[in-house]
Amino acid sequence: MSHTKTTETTTQAARQQPEVDRRPLARQRRNRMLLQAACIVITLFMALPIYLIALSATSSRAALQEFPLSFIPDNFSLETMETFLQSTGILGGLINSVQVGIFTLLLSLIIGVPAGYAVARFAFPGRDPYQLFLLFTRALPIVVLSVPLAQLFLQTGLYDSVIAVVLLHTALALPTTILITSSVFLGVPRDVEEAARIFGCSPVQAFLKVVMPMAIPGIAAASIFTFVMSWNEVLGASILTLNQRTLPAQVLTSLAESPLAYRFAGGFLLVVPALVFIFFMRRYLTNMWGSTIR
Amino acid sequence: MSDLAYNDVSRRALLKGGLLALATGPVLAACGVNTSGSGGEGSVNFLSTQFSPVEERQKYESTLKKFAGDIQVAYNPVDTGVFNTTLKSQLAAGKVEVGIAGGLHSDLVPFASQFEDLSSVTSDLSSAGYSEDLLELAKLGTDTPRYIPWIQATYVVAVNKKALDWLPSGADVNNLTYDQYLAWAQAAKAANGGRPVFGIPAGPKGLHHRFYQGFLLPSFTGGQITTFRNADAVTAWTYMRDLWANTNPASANYDFMQEPLGNGEVLVAWDHVARLINAVQNKPDDWLMVPAPSGPRGKGYLLIVGGMAVPQGSPEKDKAFALIKALSRPEAQIETLKSNAFFPTVKTEIGGDLPGGIALEAKAVKAQQEAGDAILALPPVGLGDKDPQVSQLFKNCFQEICLNNADVKATLDRQGAELASIMDTLNVPCWAPDPDADQCKVA
Repeated sequence: MSHTKTTETTTQAARQQPEVDRRPLARQRRNRMLLQAACIVITLFMALPIYLIALSATSSRAALQEFPLSFIPDNFSLETMETFLQSTGILGGLINSVQVGIFTLLLSLIIGVPAGYAVARFAFPGRDPYQLFLLFTRALPIVVLSVPLAQLFLQTGLYDSVIAVVLLHTALALPTTILITSSVFLGVPRDVEEAARIFGCSPVQAFLKVVMPMAIPGIAAASIFTFVMSWNEVLGASILTLNQRTLPAQVLTSLAESPLAYRFAGGFLLVVPALVFIFFMRRYLTNMWGSTIR
Repeated sequence: MSDLAYNDVSRRALLKGGLLALATGPVLAACGVNTSGSGGEGSVNFLSTQFSPVEERQKYESTLKKFAGDIQVAYNPVDTGVFNTTLKSQLAAGKVEVGIAGGLHSDLVPFASQFEDLSSVTSDLSSAGYSEDLLELAKLGTDTPRYIPWIQATYVVAVNKKALDWLPSGADVNNLTYDQYLAWAQAAKAANGGRPVFGIPAGPKGLHHRFYQGFLLPSFTGGQITTFRNADAVTAWTYMRDLWANTNPASANYDFMQEPLGNGEVLVAWDHVARLINAVQNKPDDWLMVPAPSGPRGKGYLLIVGGMAVPQGSPEKDKAFALIKALSRPEAQIETLKSNAFFPTVKTEIGGDLPGGIALEAKAVKAQQEAGDAILALPPVGLGDKDPQVSQLFKNCFQEICLNNADVKATLDRQGAELASIMDTLNVPCWAPDPDADQCKVA
């Protein structure tokens, strides 16, 4: 109804002022269309490889030998996927990987969020060198880190356990966690925190009840980084474990030498959990562009 | 935004998370899930660089189960880099968890003096009939045997029977010369409307450097390192350029020839037997497997040997020794041939009940080894961490000469100078087919 009303008013307006400049409107419409087109292109860019991997992973082995390959799932078969999942250590590796990812996430948040807050809020001697120093762990190649670590873990009895990999991944993830959360905490106005204090919150309460919720998007972003990093890390995980591998450590090197069908099945299996995780974290992440951070 | 809701969620979540982390910390070490089928107290950890692809691993694990008796084996295939670092860190920490280290000869070389002396196992297996060459290799440059030969393999040519139509007249497919091979490739290309149907695994993970090291150069020059830049080598690489011109250009992307062979893109290809077998196994009637061609100096062929070693300080030394003996039994070795296409190292009658593809392969390997003009070549021995660099030099020659059309002599001089400086710093004796000398030098 309102629609007819507006057209009425615009036609009226047009009658009164025939030479109205419509170019801004057209430009806006064109820009919107371009934006939509760009969105579609970017989505395709991201989704197409995933679609193709999923398609190949659920095709029969014979179908993969055909040329040209078809773009629609007309040869649906779970045969490769099934054999792949049933082979030694794949499910175990999957469980280990999820465990390592989640525990790394928790541990790095427990240590990283307070550290990020401290870096953002307090001026303490050596703050700048500290921030620079944080990045040093990432500057060293993992091989250099893992060999001494493997020796240490062997001597302390942590070798070949999930916790060994969790500790390594936490160390690797902390710099990004601290730097991301600290930049988000910088964006939370100090006044809000002070207001909370005036209304009777203790410093810890003010942090937990006021600052943390406002920093959720940053924490979500840091979590995604941490989880995906842990999920993708191969070298350290394969050096620190023997019988309790994570999934990438278990399959990544062997996939490079496996027949095509298994490469697709393995690739698909490696992509899915990270996608699921990002899917759940996404709703916290989108708040970053919402009203939470001013 | 409902800050209240967020408040509750975040605090509760944080508390829960904190408690969970505190509670799970100690349990964490115990809650990992095993990924090697076994492991734990009393089982033998078998760290290996072989049989890592999904299906091959499954097949080898069932072989292990069949022959290990009541010994629990945790089979862990890894790539060479991880194999190295794992062994190195365990040996350095003085706390070895690996029971058996299985790998190709070159994988085991760096650890020679840190492996157990296997004299007792060797003498128990004295009736197995290992060849003198293998036993000498197994000493890894020390005085005592450090590994027991485990598997061997080589490279052959797989031929789709369709390609036989274009075989030059008078040529015997089972005893080709390099000139006939080239003529065949040219005829096949011409007959397919200019589309080459010969292939070589020159992709990033392909093993084409082994073709130059063990087949082309020994056949043309009689050597591998010492003759790297002499006049015969120039002839060999000029030949290679001609062959490449008649080879499917997509070969620069092929890692495993079984894939292009399987889908018909390539009809004739040289590769590692284990990398050809899948194409042949599906339709053995459509295929032939033939020995590599012969050159002016003979039929150069590369032998790949893998061994099983026991690192010093291994927790289950006795079980490891027992397992090695079990896997060296002829039945276990033949089972490995049937399931994984690697050949027995012990003397045994292979028998006629092999699956079609494997039977073809076995015939070709036997013909290649027993050819009158056969020249045995080994992959570089004793180069340690310089091994990939040396292989890279051979690949560089291919890249320059075949892909970039560079001058053959100049390229060989340039790459040869680099090889010479690597060999000078290493100070290692020559290996087959180069003549035995105290220090291997590029002439």
